[in-house]
Amino acid sequence: MNSSRNLGLVLMAPAIVLVVLFFLVPVALTAVFSFTTMSTSTGITGGAYQLAPNAIQRLRDQFGMVELAQKLGEPSFVIDERGLATLEAKGVAPGIVAELRSNHLNETFTVRRDVERMIRSLRERPSTPEVKLISAEFSRSLANARFADEAALFAAVKAIDAQLTEDEKAALAAASYSGWTWTTENFRRMVSTPDTARTLFNTLAYVSLTLVLFNTGFAMILALAVHYMPERPAGFFRILWLLPRITPPVIYVLMWKWLAWDTGFLSAVLDDFGVRPRNWMLDSAANAWVVVVFINGLVGASMGMLIFSSAIKAIPQSLFYASEVDGAYRWQQIRHIILPQLRWPILFVTCYQTLSLLTSFEYILLSTNGGPGGTTEVWALAIYHTALNNYAGNLQYGYGAAMALVLVVIGIVLSLVYLRLFNYGALVARPLIEH
Amino acid sequence: MTKLGLTIKAAAVAVALFSGTGLTAAQNVTISVWAGGTGPNDNYRVDAIDIAADILEREYAIRGKELSIAVEKKTYPTWDDFKQALTLAAEAGNAPDIVVTGHEDIAPWSQSGLIVPVENYLNLDAWPINDMYENLIKISSYGGVLYGLPQDAESRPLFFWKPHMKAIGYSDADLDALPSKVQSGEYTLANVIEDAKKMQDKGVVKPGYGFYPRPNNGPDYWQFYTSFGGVMEEGGKLVLDKAAMQRFYQFFVDAVAAGVTRKNHIGTPNDQWFAEVASGKAGIWHGGTWHYARYVNQEGLTDFFGNVAFSLIPAGEEGKANTLTHPLVYLLTKNKSEENAGIAAELIKIASEPRINALHAIKSAHLGITKQEANVDLYSSDRWAREATERLLPYANAMPNNSDFGTYWNAMWKGLESAWTGQKAPGQAVQDLETELKSSLGEAIVVR
Amino acid sequence: MTGNFRSWPVVLALSLLSAPLLLMYAYLIVDTITNSPVGSFVPNEFTLEHWSFLWETPRGRPNIWRVTLNSLVFATSSCLIVLAVSSTAGYVLSRLNVPGRSFFLAGVMVLHAFPAITLIVAIFLVLQMVGLYNSLVGVILVKAAIDMPLGIWIMKGFYDTVPWEIEMAGIQDGASRFRVWHSLVLPQVRPGLFALGLFSFLLGWSEFILPQVLAPGNQVQVLSVYLASLIADDNNFDMALFKSVGLFYIAPVLILFFAFQNYLMNIYGGGTKG
Repeated sequence: MNSSRNLGLVLMAPAIVLVVLFFLVPVALTAVFSFTTMSTSTGITGGAYQLAPNAIQRLRDQFGMVELAQKLGEPSFVIDERGLATLEAKGVAPGIVAELRSNHLNETFTVRRDVERMIRSLRERPSTPEVKLISAEFSRSLANARFADEAALFAAVKAIDAQLTEDEKAALAAASYSGWTWTTENFRRMVSTPDTARTLFNTLAYVSLTLVLFNTGFAMILALAVHYMPERPAGFFRILWLLPRITPPVIYVLMWKWLAWDTGFLSAVLDDFGVRPRNWMLDSAANAWVVVVFINGLVGASMGMLIFSSAIKAIPQSLFYASEVDGAYRWQQIRHIILPQLRWPILFVTCYQTLSLLTSFEYILLSTNGGPGGTTEVWALAIYHTALNNYAGNLQYGYGAAMALVLVVIGIVLSLVYLRLFNYGALVARPLIEH
Repeated sequence: MTKLGLTIKAAAVAVALFSGTGLTAAQNVTISVWAGGTGPNDNYRVDAIDIAADILEREYAIRGKELSIAVEKKTYPTWDDFKQALTLAAEAGNAPDIVVTGHEDIAPWSQSGLIVPVENYLNLDAWPINDMYENLIKISSYGGVLYGLPQDAESRPLFFWKPHMKAIGYSDADLDALPSKVQSGEYTLANVIEDAKKMQDKGVVKPGYGFYPRPNNGPDYWQFYTSFGGVMEEGGKLVLDKAAMQRFYQFFVDAVAAGVTRKNHIGTPNDQWFAEVASGKAGIWHGGTWHYARYVNQEGLTDFFGNVAFSLIPAGEEGKANTLTHPLVYLLTKNKSEENAGIAAELIKIASEPRINALHAIKSAHLGITKQEANVDLYSSDRWAREATERLLPYANAMPNNSDFGTYWNAMWKGLESAWTGQKAPGQAVQDLETELKSSLGEAIVVR
Repeated sequence: MTGNFRSWPVVLALSLLSAPLLLMYAYLIVDTITNSPVGSFVPNEFTLEHWSFLWETPRGRPNIWRVTLNSLVFATSSCLIVLAVSSTAGYVLSRLNVPGRSFFLAGVMVLHAFPAITLIVAIFLVLQMVGLYNSLVGVILVKAAIDMPLGIWIMKGFYDTVPWEIEMAGIQDGASRFRVWHSLVLPQVRPGLFALGLFSFLLGWSEFILPQVLAPGNQVQVLSVYLASLIADDNNFDMALFKSVGLFYIAPVLILFFAFQNYLMNIYGGGTKG
C-alpha cells in the first residue's frame, strides 16, 4: 500500500460501495421503474400468470377471445381416470380412490364446494387437507389458477385438452400476466394529469416563499441584528435560533401543533380577543401555507444566519470605524459596507437551499400532510403519497418513480450548474506528493 | 396459491398425511397477525387469535398431538402506514401469517400473490363458516374464490342530534318516523341541508356545524355517490357515472354554499371531530356503526339513544337511500411454511366462532358475521347491535373487489376535495377525474 | 460591537421576534410536569403522570427503553460509519494522487445535493435484495450513505488545512502513506472528526422518514417513529404525553448541543442539508 494510487483506492472503497448501493443502484432502478406499470397489484419482483377475473375479462374484451375466456374461466371439476391415476401415484388411500372410481367416475362439478362435499361424503371421510389435495387433482379449468411461468401455464392448458393457436397463446399470456409491464404511459400521464400543474405550482411557491422570506431574508435580519449586539445577547440569540434546526422534526412539528391546534395556544390567546378558536394549521389554504413556510423557514434561517454572520465578521473592522467617523447611519453601513460583501454568501445559501427545499418533505408530511385539499402538496410529498403512503393502500411504484426521476434530473442539473458557478476547479489542488 | 405450487406442496403433504409418520413430535409454531385501522376498542381483532390458539392447542392435545402456538400481534391505528408497512414487508418476504384488513385489498393483493385463498385450507361446510352471512362471504371472495373470512361487519349511518332536531320543530314521534322516511326516499339529502340550515339559523349549532361529515377520506363517501345514482362496478368493470359523480360533488359544494358545512372541513383532526359530534356541537353528521363505541366509551356520551337518532344515508336526485358496509377480513398471506398456513387457517376459523366474534362485535360496536351470533346473549342484549343490524344491514352495499379500485378511490377523493374546497367547479372536477382515470386506468373503467 | 449605535433597540426587537419560539420551547418543558385547567395555559398543579410511559408500556406499543436503545444504536452506528468512511475518503480526495480524483470530488458534491429520499422505493428494493429490510442494520447503512457525502466534504476541508510538511517528514522517515495518514495526519484532524461525529449522531437521532419506511417493526422502532405513531393515533390525543415523550427524546440533543455548541455552530454554518 505504498503507492498513493493503491492506498487511495483502498481508502475510497467503503465510500464507493455505499455510493453504488444506495445512490447509483437506486437511481438506475428508479429510472427503470419509471418505465413500468409497477404497483401494489403487480408487485415489484415480478409476476405470475393468473386467470383472475380481470384477466378473463381482458381476454374477452381486449383480445376478443370470448370462447376461450369462457372455457378457461368457468371452474369445473371432472372425476376422471387421469385424476384417479395421479391420486394413486401420490399414495392416497386405496379405499378412497376405489370408491371414487366405482361411484363417482365422470361426475362433473362447477363449484369447488360441491366437489369437496362429495369427497367428504366418502366412506373413509378424508381430512380437510386431504380433501383439498384430492379436489385439486380433478380441477379441469384454470379459473383463478396461478402459474409461475408461461410454460407452466401452457402445460396446464394442454392438460385440460384445450388446443391453442399461437395467437391465442400470446393473448392468454398477455392477459393473464399479473406482474408489471413496460410502458411510457407514466410520463404521458404526468403531463396530462391536472394535478401535475398544481403540484408543480405548489412546489415553486413553497421553495421561493421559504427561500426569500426566511432562508435569506429573515436570516439576513438575524445576522444583522446579532451583529449590532453585545456578545452575550448575540450568543444567546444565535443559540435560540439554531434550536429549530437541531430539534428532531417530529418534536418540532409537534410544538407547532401545540401552538396552532384548535385547542392550542394561539386559539386560546385569540379567544380572549373574540376570535373563534380554530385549527390555525389546517383551517384554510392560507393558514396552511403560512404554517408550512414558517416551519421550514425557521429551520432554514439558522444556516443563513450563521453563514452571513461569519461573512460579516470577515469584513475588516476599519471599514466600520471609518464609516462611523463619517457619521453614517446604521442602514447606510448595512447598505454600503455589509451587503456588498454578502453577495456570494447569499448566492450560496440560495443555491444550496433551493435544492434542499425541493427535496425535503418531512416537515410538510408531519404538519399539514399536503392539506387542506392538497393545497400544500409539493412534488416530493406527492411522490411519497403516490409511491408509498396513501389511504387506499394503492402504491404506484412506477408512476412514483417517474415523478422521482424528474426531481433527480433537476437535482443533478442544478448541482452541476452550481459547481460551475462556484468555481469548482479551485477546490481541487494538485497533491504535492506525487507517488 | 399457485396451481403448480399446490401440486408440489400437495405431494409433500400427501407423503406426510398418508404415511402416518412424523406427526408425533411436539410442534412449536409462531403465528403473527397484523391489523390495520385498529384502535383501543378493536383489540379482539388480534386477541381473538389468542383465544383461538388456546382452543386449537386443546384440540390437538385431545387428538394426542402436542402443539404450542405463540401469537405475535401488531395493530396499526391508521390505514396508510399499515398498508405501506404490510406491502413492503410482503415484498421483502416478511409478511405476517394473518392480516386483518378491508375486503377491497383482496383483489390487488391476490394479483400480486401476497395472499392465498382461505378455501385452499378450510372446509367451507364446517362451522362457523357455514353460518356466515351469504353477502359477507361474497364480499370476501374474488372471482368466486373465498380469499378471506369476514372479521366484522358494519354500516355507516347518518346521525342526528335529537335535541337540535327538536329545536327546529321535530317531535319525538317525528324523530321515530325519520328512519323510515329516509328509507322510503321521502327525506332526502336536500332536506339534510335544509334542516342543518334551520339549526344554524336557530343558533343551536355554530355556522358550519349543521352538517358535519367525516373529515377525511373513507369508504363513506361512496355512499353519497350511490345516493345520487352512481354505480361503482358493473359486470366486473369499474364504472364512473359522470352525472352522478357531479351531483355528488355538487351536494357538498351546496352544503358549503349554504354555510352548513365548512369549506375547510376536510383535514379537521379526527379526535376533534369525534369529541364535537359526541357532545352535540354538530347537528347532522355521518359516521360508522362502530363510532358508537367511541362516543360511549371514550367521549363520554352516556345517553346515546336519548341524544342521537340514526338512519340510512338519504337519497339524492336519481338515487336511493343506502348505506355501505366495509367488512374487514382475515386474510392468509403466502406462507413459506405450509404448516403455518394450515394452522393460521384453523385459527381464523375458530376466531370466527359466534361467541368469540361477539366479543369484538360488542366491544367495538361492529355487527356480527354469523347468523347464530344473534343467539349469543352478549350480542342480542346489546340495543345498538340489534337496532343497527335491523335498520341498516339489509340495505348495505359494499365496495367492489377490483385491482384498480384503489386508483379510482384516491382519484374520486381528490376530485371531491378540490370541489369541496372551492378550487374547482364540480363539473371541472369531474372532467379532471375522467381525464386522470382514463390515463391511469384506460380500458379498465367504463365512463358514462 | 461598534460604539456609535445603541444596541438595546435591536435586542428588544429581536427579543420580541424570538418570543414565540422561546414560548414553544418553554412550554415543551412546563407542560410535561404540570396540569392546566381546561382552556387555560397557566399550570395549576405539579404532576409526574405524563411521564408514566417510562415505567408502563401501553398496549401494542414497544417498550420505551427498547426504543431508546434502538435509537442509540441507530445514531451511534450511522455516526461511526460516516466517520470511518469520511475520514478515509476525505483524505484521498484531499491528498492522494488517484485517477479521477477531481471527478470523485465533483461526484461527492452532486451526491450531497441529491434527492436520495425520493429514491426510497428503489432503496427499499436494494435493502430487500440484501435481506436487510426491517432491520436496524439496513436503515443504518442507508442513513450513513445519505449523510456520507457531506462528511467526506467536511473531512476533506479539515485535511486541506493540515500542513504538507508533516506528511513529507513522515515519508522521509520511511513510513508508508497509510502509516503517515494513520499516525500523523489523523491526529491532526481530531477536532474535525469530533465535530462531524457529533453532527452525524444528531442527524441519526433526528431521522424520521428512513426508519419509518425501512424499519417499521416494533423490534426495530426508533424514538422518532415511536413518537410519530403516538401522535398519529387519533384514539389517544394527549398533548402532555406527546410532549413528555418529546422532551425525553430531545433531551440528549439539547445536552450535546449546549455542551458542544461551538463545534456544531461551525458545521451548521458550513452548509448542511436543511
